[in-house]
Amino acid sequence: MRSSTILLGFAVLTIGASTAVSRIMHMGMQQGYSPAQPIAFSHELHAGKNRIDCLYCHYGARKSRHAGIPSSSICMNCHSMLEKQTVAIERFKEAVQLQRPLVSWVKVHNLPDFVYFNHSRHVMSGVACQRCHGRVEEMEQIEQVMPLTMGWCLECHREHAGVPTSGLERAAKRFTSVPVPASGLDCASCHY
Amino acid sequence: MSENREHGGKADSCKGAAAAGDRLVKIGRREPAGAGEGDATRRDFLSLLGFSVAAASMPACRAPEQRAIPLPVASEDMVAGIANYYATTCGGCASACSLLVKQRDGRPIKIDGNAASALFGGATCATGQAAVLSLYDGERLRGPAWQGKPTTWKEIDDRVQQALTAARAGTGAVVLLSSTITSPSLRAVIDRWSQSVPRFRHVTYDPVSASALRAATAQASGRAAVPHYAFDRARVIVGLEADFLGTWLSPVEFARQYARGRTAAGAARSLHVQFEAGVSVTGSNADRRVLVPPSELGAVAAALLARVAEQAHVAGVPRVADPIDVDTLDDVAAQLWAHRGESLVVSGHNDIAVQLAVHALNHLLGNLGHTVDLARPSLQRQGDDAAVAELVDQMERGEVHTLILHGVNPVYDHADGGAFARGLKKVALSVSTGDRIDETGAAVNAICPDHHFLESWGDAEPVEGTLSLSQPTIAPLFETRSAAESLLRWLGDDTDHYAYLRSFWREHMFPRQQATLDFDTFWDKSLEQGIVELGAGAGDPAPSPAPAPDPGGDWRAAIRQIGDQQRAARAARHPDRYELALFESVALRDGRHANNPWLQELPDPMTRITWGNVAAIAPSLADQLGVDTGDVVVIASGAGRLQLPVFVQPGQQARTISVALGHGRTRVGKAGDRVGANAFPLARLVRGARSYSAAEVTMTATGRHEKLAASQSHLSMEGRELVLETTLADLARDEAEAREPLPDLWTERPQGAHSWGMAIDLDACTGCSACVIACQAENNVPVVGKDQVQRQRIMHWIRIDRYYGGPDDNPRSLHQPMMCQHCGHAPCETVCPVLATTTSSEGLNQQVYNRCIGTRYCANNCPYKVRRFNWYNYTENSKFDFNMTDPVGRMVLNPDVVVRSRGVMEKCSLCVQRIQNAKNDVVTTGKPLADGAIVTACQQACPTQAIVFGDLADPNSWVSQLQNDRRSYELLGYLNTKPRTQYLARVRNPNPELG
Repeated sequence: MRSSTILLGFAVLTIGASTAVSRIMHMGMQQGYSPAQPIAFSHELHAGKNRIDCLYCHYGARKSRHAGIPSSSICMNCHSMLEKQTVAIERFKEAVQLQRPLVSWVKVHNLPDFVYFNHSRHVMSGVACQRCHGRVEEMEQIEQVMPLTMGWCLECHREHAGVPTSGLERAAKRFTSVPVPASGLDCASCHY
Repeated sequence: MSENREHGGKADSCKGAAAAGDRLVKIGRREPAGAGEGDATRRDFLSLLGFSVAAASMPACRAPEQRAIPLPVASEDMVAGIANYYATTCGGCASACSLLVKQRDGRPIKIDGNAASALFGGATCATGQAAVLSLYDGERLRGPAWQGKPTTWKEIDDRVQQALTAARAGTGAVVLLSSTITSPSLRAVIDRWSQSVPRFRHVTYDPVSASALRAATAQASGRAAVPHYAFDRARVIVGLEADFLGTWLSPVEFARQYARGRTAAGAARSLHVQFEAGVSVTGSNADRRVLVPPSELGAVAAALLARVAEQAHVAGVPRVADPIDVDTLDDVAAQLWAHRGESLVVSGHNDIAVQLAVHALNHLLGNLGHTVDLARPSLQRQGDDAAVAELVDQMERGEVHTLILHGVNPVYDHADGGAFARGLKKVALSVSTGDRIDETGAAVNAICPDHHFLESWGDAEPVEGTLSLSQPTIAPLFETRSAAESLLRWLGDDTDHYAYLRSFWREHMFPRQQATLDFDTFWDKSLEQGIVELGAGAGDPAPSPAPAPDPGGDWRAAIRQIGDQQRAARAARHPDRYELALFESVALRDGRHANNPWLQELPDPMTRITWGNVAAIAPSLADQLGVDTGDVVVIASGAGRLQLPVFVQPGQQARTISVALGHGRTRVGKAGDRVGANAFPLARLVRGARSYSAAEVTMTATGRHEKLAASQSHLSMEGRELVLETTLADLARDEAEAREPLPDLWTERPQGAHSWGMAIDLDACTGCSACVIACQAENNVPVVGKDQVQRQRIMHWIRIDRYYGGPDDNPRSLHQPMMCQHCGHAPCETVCPVLATTTSSEGLNQQVYNRCIGTRYCANNCPYKVRRFNWYNYTENSKFDFNMTDPVGRMVLNPDVVVRSRGVMEKCSLCVQRIQNAKNDVVTTGKPLADGAIVTACQQACPTQAIVFGDLADPNSWVSQLQNDRRSYELLGYLNTKPRTQYLARVRNPNPELG
């Protein structure tokens, strides 16, 4: 009786501890984050149905670290010629005329401050936007699909460098051969 | 687009985390007073641990919501995350160096030299590097003020115009007192004032002036100007109290020139002899440094002149008693004569007789038109000490009706600031264009704050014929107005500064060139490049007419005067009286940037002291008086008293006390107020020029001791081979020894495509410290304050170690830039328990802040002592009330580098953000990485190209070639740390003919 209580207690503790560790490991992760935006902009309509290229609006992704959120003036490139006017579009028009920032968008994909991710480096190397952002062209409201953790980044970087993605395989390989140098796996590629 | 992190909002859902936060505050409060941020006890730690596990098992917390606000209208020129560069002109001092300012997302964040400039190249000085922080000084005035109270520009303009109307009707003078104005367009505005305002006068005032040099040149050649020197053309350089590598006239330009002669191979190498009392940066680099007290300096010039004149068969030269040993004088004179036309004598001594003697020396040596250019002089110092003194008298007599002060602070830095303040009371209207209510600002009626130079249009002509444009790199932060616009407005002209500048250039500059026929093209090109040459072959001395056989000016009378002064000084000599030498320090210069915490915390290159000035005395004098470094003394001259801690300075002249100017401000702001003592009142007007030295000074110990904030406590290398030296002769003779590889236990590491490394030429490094501030600006290095520096917690990633070698009375000085050596076999790596520091595939020793848990084992195990620990959260702790805790001051931070938090280690990263940026460019543009495409911040700032970064995997790269040089060595190589940074040994030129 007493020993079974101890056993039960031990089991509860173990499960509790492992759950806690797993929770800690997932702290700050925002997978599945899909906040409502001040203006209900639909990527499904623009990128999906109307097939506007991602880089038309997020032109920064081609040359800068930031993909950038398009200015109201970019919206007006098309909307000034479209007949259909909504309240939101009227507000965009006004913002451009008054040269005043209109919307404070909620950022969906956030990386910690100590990570330097560069959009242009990836876009110009041929990485598709969807690889990290999911099928944006099917999203009415943007959602973070991928975990955006370091392990997740490294999976791809390892694949690219020809390094085994499984930890066990990597450990085994360490005994048999010299690791392949890959600048994409250096800490300082992203942390500085 | 701007990003903004909002805390709160969704964070409310994380009640557990908020409660834990409350608990942390409580723990902090339980600490004894003064402990600052709390370090919790073990029990607190355990209770927190339990708490955080509980918090973690609650529903997962969301990170704070982040917002992104795009620009309303997209601009091709402004893409978030991409830097723009604008050419402009430095307003940090009157040298007016050409700059290229890096602007990110609308904010200028880094200043660098404009490589297109023939005069300054891509180099800068420490002051220039720090000037970007002065822009974000939160204590600048927000707008105009009348009698110390905020007001509108309209009210100020009305009051000034009324006063001018009254002045026109009355008999009082209207005076503009300004610092040196190198801007031709602003001078044209002042000319308009002369024409339209009766009894108007413009007086130029430099707190550290070259008035005597201008006056002597006027007597000798008929034009009051500072000659333009060419140190690169001189094979023999003789400096008489002229700190031309540190602060004098145009140090960036001179250091570049000097390095060219310095690094020339073999016999073409220049020889430099410096006569001085205190140890200056320039003196520390000289091949031969001769100690001379200020009272004998003129006699050195006269003695050299007498010897040279004898050689030149010029008769009737009066003799003075030789101030130092005859052999040295004979040798230096012989060297000068042997290199006539290729030598240069300069003096920073503000005494007309001495400057006349120096001019005569250069004349007889045939240096005019070769190393001394009078045809196209320098405009970097225009101050007239006698005119300023006359103005003060006139003010006291009540003869000045309106006084406009531009870029000056005479209540602080004039010899008799009190008299100036009294005089100001008798002026009907006094207006200052200062950026704050400073010492002078507190005594004037109106303050009309000028833009910071990074917010302003403008132009400059540092050397006649070489022009440099200024353009705004940010919209004015506050309600300020450019001084040129104010001066125009008060004349009734409502033109804005840009329109005025453009029309001035159309009228006056455009016709002076033939290359471009269309003004708009000329203007756009000039603005883009920043530099316009309107003289033929600027940088080269203009051919001057065959020199007259006799130097101009009454130099014989000058020598007689020097002789009289020398005799008088010798007669007055007393065992308890000393001489005083005042100098501009490399960090604070004349004190105008005193509220810049970067400069306050920049160690002096020679004393290595931060936050304050000291009285430097010779070791022999310290022994004699029984005082030591830190003992507070009172120094008294006829002009005033100073209370300062002593610093025992090897190489200091035995009877001379040296004190830095620019300290002891009282109304500049929280960083600069009451730091050090103000020595300006001791610099009195003597024979028509302000004398920065004094004789018959007493010094008495107070018995108090003050702990200095020194960043280096060792004076010597303690017998270790840190800085290697060789001589010119040895270099020509010896063959390099092959280095025996040391045994080691490390396994071979794989090498990536690049192998980054650095070479530092100790022969080129002057110790000017521009790199230190450049690094601080680039890498968001925090300022920690005097108390923390005293605890050896200064955060600089690069420091310049200074060592003395040889006898204490006149040792050799050595400067060694020191930063992370990026060891191949890094001792820091092996002791890190969490792998927070590792070597990258490209050889960088990477420090990963987010892995670091702050054991500090790495810093303990680093033989170079280059690792820096964040003892506090310098961005949020109000105890560190410098730029990083201030919302305006934070605008200077580089968004490409993490701001480190408390408890992590940091160190030089070899500017990895720049490496990454260049590698990104390779991907986005498809162009291969060229040697020299990546420069580190320290390398970019260096005026002498002492620091070279590059790829060691490329055998042809500049850095590879330097590391293969015979002079190259690894620091502490016997430890087998395999550093990737190598040093090139210092070369000595103990000229055998120089005794």
